[in-house]
Amino acid sequence: MRNPLIKRIPKELKSEWHKYIVIILFMILMIGLVSGMYVGHDSMLASIEKGKDELVLEDGSFELNKKASDELITGIESGEMADVRQYYIDEGVKEADKEVEKAAQKELHEQVEDNIKQMVRAQCEGYGITDEQIIDAQIETALSDNLENALKEAEESDEYKKAVEEALEEAYKEVEKKVDEKWDDISDEYGLNDEGFEPVRVKVYENFYRNENEDYDSDGVIDATVRIFSDDSEIDKAEIIEGKAPKADDEIAIDRMHADNVGVKVGDTITVGKKEFKVVGLLSYVNYLTLHESNTDLMFDAFGFNVAMVTPEGFETLKSRVHYNYGYLYDKKPEDKEAEADHAETLLKSLVTQTLVNDNEIEDFLPEYIRQASNFAPSDIEGDTSGTSILCYILIAVIAFIFAITIGNTIEKEAAVIGTLRASGYTKGELVFHYMSMPFIVTIIGAALGNILGYTLFEDVAVDLYYESYSLPACDTVWSPVALVKTTVIPLILMFFINLFVIINKLKLSPLKFLRRDLKKTKRSKARRIPSWSFLARFRLRNVFQNLPNYFVLIFGVIFIELMLCFAFGVPDSFANYSDKAPSMVFAKYQYMLMGSKDDDGDEIVTAEKSAERFSTTSLMYPKDDKFAFREGFGSGGDESVSVYGIIPDSRYIDIGNELSGDKVYVSSAFATKFNLKSGDAITLHEEYENKKYDLTVEGIVSYDGGVAVFMPNNEFNRVFDKKDGDFSGYFSENEIKDIDDKYIATVITVDDITKVTRQLEHSMGSMFEVFKYVLVVLAASLIYLLTKIIIEKNENSISMVKILGFKNGEIASLYIVPTAIIVVFVSILSFVVGIFLMIYIFKVLMMSMDGWFEFYMRPVSMLLSVVYLLVGYAVVSVIDYIRIRKIPMNEALKNVE
Amino acid sequence: MENFLEIKELKKSFGSGEAKQDVLRGTDFTVKKGEFCVLLGPSGSGKSTLLNIIGGIDTPDSGYVSINGDKLEDMSEKQLTMYRRKHLGYVFQMYNLIPNLNVKENIEVGAYLSDNPLDVEEVITTLGLQNHKYKYPNQLSGGQQQRVSIGRAVVKNPDILMCDEPTGALDYKTSKEILALIEDCNRKYNSTIIMVTHNEAIKYMADHVVKLRDGVVRHNDINDKKIPASELDW
Repeated sequence: MRNPLIKRIPKELKSEWHKYIVIILFMILMIGLVSGMYVGHDSMLASIEKGKDELVLEDGSFELNKKASDELITGIESGEMADVRQYYIDEGVKEADKEVEKAAQKELHEQVEDNIKQMVRAQCEGYGITDEQIIDAQIETALSDNLENALKEAEESDEYKKAVEEALEEAYKEVEKKVDEKWDDISDEYGLNDEGFEPVRVKVYENFYRNENEDYDSDGVIDATVRIFSDDSEIDKAEIIEGKAPKADDEIAIDRMHADNVGVKVGDTITVGKKEFKVVGLLSYVNYLTLHESNTDLMFDAFGFNVAMVTPEGFETLKSRVHYNYGYLYDKKPEDKEAEADHAETLLKSLVTQTLVNDNEIEDFLPEYIRQASNFAPSDIEGDTSGTSILCYILIAVIAFIFAITIGNTIEKEAAVIGTLRASGYTKGELVFHYMSMPFIVTIIGAALGNILGYTLFEDVAVDLYYESYSLPACDTVWSPVALVKTTVIPLILMFFINLFVIINKLKLSPLKFLRRDLKKTKRSKARRIPSWSFLARFRLRNVFQNLPNYFVLIFGVIFIELMLCFAFGVPDSFANYSDKAPSMVFAKYQYMLMGSKDDDGDEIVTAEKSAERFSTTSLMYPKDDKFAFREGFGSGGDESVSVYGIIPDSRYIDIGNELSGDKVYVSSAFATKFNLKSGDAITLHEEYENKKYDLTVEGIVSYDGGVAVFMPNNEFNRVFDKKDGDFSGYFSENEIKDIDDKYIATVITVDDITKVTRQLEHSMGSMFEVFKYVLVVLAASLIYLLTKIIIEKNENSISMVKILGFKNGEIASLYIVPTAIIVVFVSILSFVVGIFLMIYIFKVLMMSMDGWFEFYMRPVSMLLSVVYLLVGYAVVSVIDYIRIRKIPMNEALKNVE
Repeated sequence: MENFLEIKELKKSFGSGEAKQDVLRGTDFTVKKGEFCVLLGPSGSGKSTLLNIIGGIDTPDSGYVSINGDKLEDMSEKQLTMYRRKHLGYVFQMYNLIPNLNVKENIEVGAYLSDNPLDVEEVITTLGLQNHKYKYPNQLSGGQQQRVSIGRAVVKNPDILMCDEPTGALDYKTSKEILALIEDCNRKYNSTIIMVTHNEAIKYMADHVVKLRDGVVRHNDINDKKIPASELDW
């Protein structure tokens, strides 16, 4: 016969339907959300992975100063280091040849001339001519008649040849000696002493591009920078998501995300450079899943940056300079990140030496594994899901505890029945099974419905969310076993063990104890003593003591939700704060970076603008402490990119005083905050692609949050970086500079460039945070609802009794609701404080894995609201609780308990 | 003594149709102030229902209860609460103590409601609970719990003390102690006592005995020869 206790389950479900509805909805939502995130995420990652193969994602890329010669390509592909010693000797020899030749010629010329002069003079003396004027005239004639022949003759003489040979030999020896003398420095600079060097063979592909100005609404104002590739590239190809690839030279396909953001559609016309193009397709480049213009950008910018594809003919018609960018693929793929880093390092050595000996220069080198544009999105998607599943588990654990508390109460209520059942032969196992079945059934229903939602509605939501943020390829839903485990197996296990533990613990007592309703394991002879407060205060405190487990779960839940609220309020505030502070994040309203300090005629580039002020800048690296980094492979691959500025004396834009000299520098406040620097600290910066180091001492801090920067006097800057006196990189200016030709200006940085970061973030995540806030309030309210419901149910009899005795509903509510209210308010405020500090810390950790600086900030009104939202959620619950208390009938206490 | 409590033509039934059960079928009697009145009757005679109606926690289908001339049926929910709060003390068979309050605090539950409560410590001493005042109800015996319950009722110094089978769950000896306590309250504080019981022996300690059967008053007697609780025997 089936266990008759089973019949209780549907009845219990029916009688307590509102409680179970809340719990099941709670679970469906949580599980559905996590499942959707996972399925969306797995599907998305699968399409990204698929794209990597099909669209031939590079293993890395480098950009050269000019087009690489065939020899250079062959050299790089071999992976070997070029013979730098020979290069230097060859260069030296070339120089020596020239010098010796020049010296020998000069010497020869002088000797032959002397010989001729002497011969003429001797002849004149023989004829008795003494008039110097005549002699000079004779010499002049002789020289013009015979010098050339005499020189030729002399050049062919063995004597001369021997002398030259000897001189050359001497010079060559000198060259080798010099190279040897300086060899340590040279080999150090290029890392040539690596004895374990093993060539990394690669295949190199041309992937040239141009950066053009884009005017997508053809209003004559430049809206964005568009990076244009030709469609004949064999590497880093694009998937056309809508429309088609360009076929004519005035057709273009542009990034889908950018097009969405700025409202460009297939069929529209945009202006690129000075030429109009018809947009025929929207695409996703495999190496631009996020639109990072530069790898050191703090954030991608799908508004101000775009990537596009044109035909090779179309590419030729554009005017801006070609970036000689090359993608490469390793012959043998590295197995892991570490091997990838080794490969990149080895390849860089080869690249540096090969370009050197082939008379070219590296402009940029970027292994794929630290490429933000292709790694940021997958890594972020990964991060999202782990965050969501932790959220889910915490909430499921909370639900499990709510179940455990409810069941604990039921067991106490049904003590006599349990005692009777045990006395009449029911095993403990049967009862455990009985009380376990409800949470299990509810979890299974929640998981089943949640998963269905996860694969349908929420997956679309997740995928859409990713499409909102990233330039991703098209996505097909894939079955995700991980999602099943994480959304079904783990919640069931959590539910199982937490409940098993509590129920077994409760059912441990003997049947007799159950019959006597004597469920306390240890009998205290005296009740807990409490201070002699007013009677009502003591009554409330007793209620707290009675329901400690409920309150613990409640406190935990409130803390957790308040933390999430701090996050939901703080992140958009931080974006806004960043935008607000943007004006203080530029040194001047305009910052002009020049191509060089001289114009085509070799004259210094000057301006009549009165507010203009020269500065110099270069980029160095600062080593990061790994202990803070929890996500690898971002920005510059571990080290922080630092902008170093040379500032003129008495600068009106940056105040570093006039006392600095030697290795003393000022650092930006962003630098100081991010790396905890203070005056007197020593810092060591290094070149990105060379082994040069600079030891500097922090003398002071400049209030500038726009970036990680170092400031030194301009003359020191020129000395430290071996620049010529008076060299500079550009101008700071309060007003637009109009008298410098555009062709000399590399970039202009304005406030708008700073706010593009937050504009992108606000676009990608703004609405999500709004929804998140309300979800959290609903979560908090349902959690408190479930827990206070238990407290009131447990005390129904007492409430009924005090009603009979003549307590008013308000008084009763104050006994049973006020303690919860005090706890909720207190814990909300406390966890708000904890939340803020935690977020500041988390932001700092997050920033460590990226370049640049972004501070956590909460507006005072948000601080207030983050607590108020939660309390409003609670207030709704207290009203329900009050109604519930009012509804408890007085005859409840009159019923015989048995 | 004047008529303090008047019960007039009370009718009450439960259920409807076939299952309709008339519990009170026109109950009439009066109680004087300070009187010890016992409502006697077998199970199902309607005595607990009658007590609940007098206590204002249940309402009659017809008829009325008046106290000092105030009819309960004219009172609003709030007024009824105030009526219970100011005038009544309750003692139940199942004690109905608040499980998470200790002995002293349970008695304070009563004291809190009253404008002129008795001294809580004094009540505790009177009830012989000095050594137990910091214990929780589940740490007490049935008799001790019933003492607390009486304490909670009398500490209010109520006009009427309503006792519903106060000894129903107790042994002989303890029952007599509890009855003696109630008797003390009646004498000491001049509270009117209405006690529902099915124990015939208790009628000998009452001033006034009302016997109910099937919802009707069968006997309504004044007892001139009442004896102290300690001399009762059953």
